[in-house]
Amino acid sequence: MAPALALFGFAALVPLVVRDAFFLDGLILILLWGSVAAAWNVAAGYAGQVSLGHSIFFGLGAYSAALMGTKWNVSPWIAMVVGAALATVMGFVIGFLSNRLRGPYFVLATIAFSQVFLIVGSRWRGFTSGSEGIPVPFRSGFWTLGLVDKRMWVYLMLALAIGLYLIQLYLERSRRGYQLAAVREDEDAALSLGVPARRLKVAAIAVSAALTSVCGTLWAQYVGFVDPFYVFSVDLSVRFALAAVTGGLGTALGPFLGAALITVLETYLRARFGGIGAGLVGIYLIIYGVALILIMRFAPQGLVPWLASLTGRRRVSRATGAAGVAS
Amino acid sequence: MHAVPQLAVSTLLLGGIYALIAVGLTLIFGVMRVVNFAHGEFLMLAMYLAFWSFALLGLDPYVTLVLALPVIFAGGWLSYRLVMGPVIQASHNVQIFTTVGLSIALQNLALVLWTADAQFIRTPYYAVVVRLGGAAFNLAQAVAFLVAVLATAALFAFLRWSYTGKVMRATAQDRQAASLMGIDTGRVYSLTWAVGVTCVGVAGVLLAPVYPVYPTAGLQFVLIAYVAVVLGGLGDMAGAVIASLIVATVEVVGSYVIGTAWKEVLYLLLFIAILLVRPAGLFGQRGAENIGV
Repeated sequence: MAPALALFGFAALVPLVVRDAFFLDGLILILLWGSVAAAWNVAAGYAGQVSLGHSIFFGLGAYSAALMGTKWNVSPWIAMVVGAALATVMGFVIGFLSNRLRGPYFVLATIAFSQVFLIVGSRWRGFTSGSEGIPVPFRSGFWTLGLVDKRMWVYLMLALAIGLYLIQLYLERSRRGYQLAAVREDEDAALSLGVPARRLKVAAIAVSAALTSVCGTLWAQYVGFVDPFYVFSVDLSVRFALAAVTGGLGTALGPFLGAALITVLETYLRARFGGIGAGLVGIYLIIYGVALILIMRFAPQGLVPWLASLTGRRRVSRATGAAGVAS
Repeated sequence: MHAVPQLAVSTLLLGGIYALIAVGLTLIFGVMRVVNFAHGEFLMLAMYLAFWSFALLGLDPYVTLVLALPVIFAGGWLSYRLVMGPVIQASHNVQIFTTVGLSIALQNLALVLWTADAQFIRTPYYAVVVRLGGAAFNLAQAVAFLVAVLATAALFAFLRWSYTGKVMRATAQDRQAASLMGIDTGRVYSLTWAVGVTCVGVAGVLLAPVYPVYPTAGLQFVLIAYVAVVLGGLGDMAGAVIASLIVATVEVVGSYVIGTAWKEVLYLLLFIAILLVRPAGLFGQRGAENIGV
């Protein structure tokens, strides 16, 4: 709890002192990507269903904001609810269809689903404008989520992040959470003890999908542009996973720490190498990929358990084993 | 009905190449229980190898193929030693993200080295069209098909009859028992990985005269390979070949009937349907998807 309080407290105090748009933008993105990673963590970290198709749900949320805003002038708050409902339905469908799949089979299935969305999003030109993408309309005001002041965005994203942190904390400490952990570690054993494993797994994906979609709506509203090759890409799903895995799969604070580390690293590398030449923008992604390999090798459970072992404290989460122990 | 011979030939030519890509992927999975998410990047690197040999040294891709075999094999072996070997005992998740990391790194390495622009190899024969019966096809594509069939056959013979091949199959069946019988499974894994990478590398060089090469070129082929490998039964070599032909049929006939724009959706839906109805694939053991192997 203490590190989380420090982190979120820091995020809450910063806008009172700092007005620098670049810095605030970084903070907003850390909170946002941390929240998406936390939403992903609900399915992957706590329920053991590593998905590389979560960009589907993010994209549903983002497209809801863009399409409903441009076509029918609907408030993004309503679009957020609609997007979350659509994502929940998709989460149920995908969770139900891939319920029996484990390990690499599950990952491959989620990738296939997200490719279907990518193709539909880019080819159904009449509805989605295809690969050109859609600008998200900006109308000033809170109800239309047109916030000119970046400090308002910080507090909005902070609320989202704290909400997701609490949901994860619930999964760590509640009876439901223990049941999920049992399913994750050994589904057959959990089934034999009367845990409704199959149903819990589907529910976890549906909840995770709805939360991811909410983040997608906010992201679309903040960035102001949606295109299928970004929001439905496997790369984006990897990005969600990366933050959670780096920070610590199945830990409440992990996704936020991972997102902070990755966003800072990315911003630094972009600033360092981005200006040299157009072809060199890939350098930070090379380092990104290599970093992922190294983390998997030397700290496969992620930063949170690793830091905890460094400080010699055992009071981490009870759900830390997901990445390293379970197989 | 006049289109049938053409469709059949197109299917066969495409399926042969898909099979070589899928066989490499399924070999690695069968022996090591690792889905290589960087498989497509090895394909892409081999295509660039062919491109640069052509652009800088004027080497014909088919000459490159022979010369580059040891290079591709060594590259595969090295990537195992550096990246996969250290995590071979770790959990599925760790291995999945390790190969995903490798894929991101290699893709962007290509982007930095060679930019995102598509490159073409213009050999004297790239546009030569052969007519046979009612069908017309590209000569380079036909050569690619023939070499792919030869390479696949060679791999099958190697696994069937060579001592090393038998050792690989034994490890695939039961790695614990194999290591108790004195098999150095670490060596088997590095060899398997290198052989799997060589398969997809050969496919890459063969594809280079026919398809453009760019940093994400591997993705379109590797997705098909995933479909074929799951359809055939993950780890099942013969299944992968047959499934590649099925996927190619769906793609070619689908493009003919409903147009090329939606053909990917067809085989992805096929993929999802297989996962739903028979996740263990056509020939795989039932329940494999359940154990998570």
